[in-house]
Amino acid sequence: MSTTNPIATVVVAGGGITAWSAAAALKRRIPSLDVQLVETPPAPEALADRIISTLPSICGFHADIGLAESDVIGGAVSGLRLGTRFEGWAVHQPDYVHAYGSCGAPVGAVPFHQLWAREDAAAGPLPAFDRFSRAAELAKRGGQSNLDSQPVGLQLTLARYAEMLRAYALHLGVAVRRSAIEQVEVRSDNGFIDALKLQNGGRISGELFVDCTGAASLLQRQLEVPFLDWSSWLPCDRVSMASGLADPTAITMDRNAAFAAGWRWTASSVQAASRGMVYSSACSEPTEVDGDANSFSIHQGRRRDFWVRNCVAIGDAAVTVEPLEWTNLHLVHSQIDRLVAMLPGRDCAPVEIAPFNSECAAEADRVRDFLCLHYICSHRSEPFWKNAASIKPPSSLEHTLALFRERGRLPYYQEETFTRDSWLTVLLGQGVRPRRIDPLADLVSAQEAAQAFAAMRQSMPS
Amino acid sequence: MAEGQRLKVVVVGGGTAGWMTAAALAKLLPFRASLHLVESEAIGIVGVGEATLPHIRQFNEGLGIDEAEFMAATRATFKLGIEFRDWGELGDSYIHPFGTFGRGNHDVDFHHYWTRLKRESEAPPLGDFSMAVMMAELNRFALPEPDPSKLQSTFGYAYQFDATLFAPYLRRVAERLGVRRTEGRIVDVELNGESGDIAAVKLESGERIEGDLFIDCSGFVSLLLGKTLGEPFEDWSKWLPCDRAVAMPCRTDTALTPYTSAIAMGSGWRWRIPLQHRTGNGYVYSSEFISDDDAREALVNAVEGEPIAEPRVLKFQAGRRRRSWVRNCIGVGLASGFLEPLESTSIYLIQAAITLLVELFPEKDISSLDRDEFNRMIDLEYDRIRDFLILHYHVTRRNDSPFWDYVRTMPITESLQDKIELFRRRGRVVKYREGVFLDASWIAVFVGQGLVPGGYDIRAQTPSPDRLKSAMATFRSEVRAAAEEMPDHRAHISRYCPMAEAA
Repeated sequence: MSTTNPIATVVVAGGGITAWSAAAALKRRIPSLDVQLVETPPAPEALADRIISTLPSICGFHADIGLAESDVIGGAVSGLRLGTRFEGWAVHQPDYVHAYGSCGAPVGAVPFHQLWAREDAAAGPLPAFDRFSRAAELAKRGGQSNLDSQPVGLQLTLARYAEMLRAYALHLGVAVRRSAIEQVEVRSDNGFIDALKLQNGGRISGELFVDCTGAASLLQRQLEVPFLDWSSWLPCDRVSMASGLADPTAITMDRNAAFAAGWRWTASSVQAASRGMVYSSACSEPTEVDGDANSFSIHQGRRRDFWVRNCVAIGDAAVTVEPLEWTNLHLVHSQIDRLVAMLPGRDCAPVEIAPFNSECAAEADRVRDFLCLHYICSHRSEPFWKNAASIKPPSSLEHTLALFRERGRLPYYQEETFTRDSWLTVLLGQGVRPRRIDPLADLVSAQEAAQAFAAMRQSMPS
Repeated sequence: MAEGQRLKVVVVGGGTAGWMTAAALAKLLPFRASLHLVESEAIGIVGVGEATLPHIRQFNEGLGIDEAEFMAATRATFKLGIEFRDWGELGDSYIHPFGTFGRGNHDVDFHHYWTRLKRESEAPPLGDFSMAVMMAELNRFALPEPDPSKLQSTFGYAYQFDATLFAPYLRRVAERLGVRRTEGRIVDVELNGESGDIAAVKLESGERIEGDLFIDCSGFVSLLLGKTLGEPFEDWSKWLPCDRAVAMPCRTDTALTPYTSAIAMGSGWRWRIPLQHRTGNGYVYSSEFISDDDAREALVNAVEGEPIAEPRVLKFQAGRRRRSWVRNCIGVGLASGFLEPLESTSIYLIQAAITLLVELFPEKDISSLDRDEFNRMIDLEYDRIRDFLILHYHVTRRNDSPFWDYVRTMPITESLQDKIELFRRRGRVVKYREGVFLDASWIAVFVGQGLVPGGYDIRAQTPSPDRLKSAMATFRSEVRAAAEEMPDHRAHISRYCPMAEAA
């Protein structure tokens, strides 16, 4: 049956970490595939290729493609990161650390946050919610040791990391052609991409095309996929970034500080550093970070479908979000993983690619919700922040907020990047409190709760 | 917690749903709910011998129920899955197990390798690679091992028990927890003139029982949710046309199988549920396609063992109330909806509603947020089970009766159609992270009904044909050897949880 014949040749287009990650993963995990990469000049505004801070999920990606952590860390990783410190996001609230891993522990069958919220309201202020996160406490102490039992993200040395992935992909057998793309040849009968005509004269044909060309989306743009605009929920549209000086005393967390029209990041490690700002051009004069600044506009949102006919968009070509929670490369990895697991027949039948699209879209939408949450729950007084907090949120975030505010419940969504503890850290860290406590919490008395809290605090690193 | 904050919860109906609800709420929400259950001995309970899903074990654990004592009291046996006979076509048979196929620690699901083997040469039945299936076929049982690296950890289990004994067992648990019980028939339901909420139920004796929250466990009658509040019923009989069952228990003198059987019949299917003391039997059929008399006769002719009661006919309709929670009334069990017992989901749906109610337990002034979230979640459970049941009827080659011609060719929902097509092409199963039937269940039924995928995950291409063949053969013999080491099902029961000798 020809419709069930699997795809045998894949063409990846793009020039940075996203493209090399996709090519290496496809070749390593499906060795029978013929993978060619058309190496175009990297897009300057492709955030997935340019942000040094990553989430812990990157370690799973490395394991999946057979890269030992020691290989990677030696060459292309400049540090480990435990989380991010959010400064000045909610007035009247202390800064908080969003670290990875659990925060507190359930007492019996009762979730920790319900008891924390109950006792915080009833018995006077408790240590802040994030003080019950082991990773956050470690991060505040700035240690680089004792990280074995913690989920850690990596800080990448971008140029070396891209080079390492490139070398690895070539070693696996990915073929590379270095050229800009002159034309995308689309078949008139079925709208499938037939081949890429290269500026250097070559022509590369294939059965599946993977668009890793950044927000310009050089391939998929030809297929006229609608773009869903998120700018009313995520109003920042300018990024300015620069590398910074390595700091031998660097701590294991990044700092994201709110300012009048957006936020600034500082990510430093012992070998590399990055600074940047993300802001709304409507609320601020053009501005740049000091140093070798590189500034560009972004347009937050996603393609309605990531996969259309025989063209699948990965990374910024599919979804653009600000780097607030360092999700850019994470989304790339997640999309690649789905591509490998769901590789369809040569006909790319709609029924086969539909689950890829619905899962990727759901995942991106929940990342959007999580980022939007930071703005919605701020209480800053500048016009930018007042406006951001007054917007009606996407319905899925509205649902989450309504249930949490009412009774501390987080509704279940299928494709969630961030754990419950991450959601709780931001919600509680920015001062959102449930109106009432889950009745199940009655099973733990105030005294039992106090004892459990004390034991948790005692087990924290000192 | 101050006494004043407790909600007065009135549970209407004392069957399985009623006593499960009363016991669980009393145990888990002692400071929020005071429970009052109203039941009438004059109204029978539907319980016809019940097969369950593994989730019931969590429910029992939550109530602190001792497994062996509970099994002895309800004359229960162990259940490793359901055997489906004659579904894909006459003469077919497969087991839908509680457990996985192959080893679960690989990137690529096992059934892709199995499909490749089958496409390239020949493959033993998929069930040979499942611990639960092998144990079921050999009539063996032992409790699963906790160590996930062991084959003996790759199955789950549930119970088959006497439902007429389950409710009384839970009643003892509930009454120990302080649940008040009133015997009597409800003759009137009183609404609050202003709010439209239910204010009280009135009994034949003249007694009036007030409440803040009413749990409708009245069964098919749906006394509060349906009759009083008029919540419409969504009819699903165009997809699930069976609307009657005739039930008849027999003495158990055949093998005590650690599984339930569902045997397809000319106009529906027949259950066989082995308990310690008897075997439950029943024919679920569509009255459009067969008369009650013919169904009764077909059942009597099919059962094994000496009948111990006259055949009894039940009527029902597949579907659910549009909303399960309306105003201050929550339907639990049959009062909220009905799906035929093909995959033993009745008690699971009761349990799901109770779990949600505990998680979303309201205040006196009920928030619509609680209500909407409850309805959203319970609808998801119903809809997914519905699609899974339809699958059994629709993916078949049977064309030997008008009933099978109808279900084989009926239009089905688009989402189910896509699921079938995805599997047909490349063995893909849409993965749910939550819910009752996960991918292994879908795979078992797809393959069991005769749908072998045309293709498979390209990564399953990696091992050489010889290596694949020998790895599969080795695994298969490991599964068999592990099952053969286990004791006989009946022997395990007589050691672990024998019922008191019946009089």
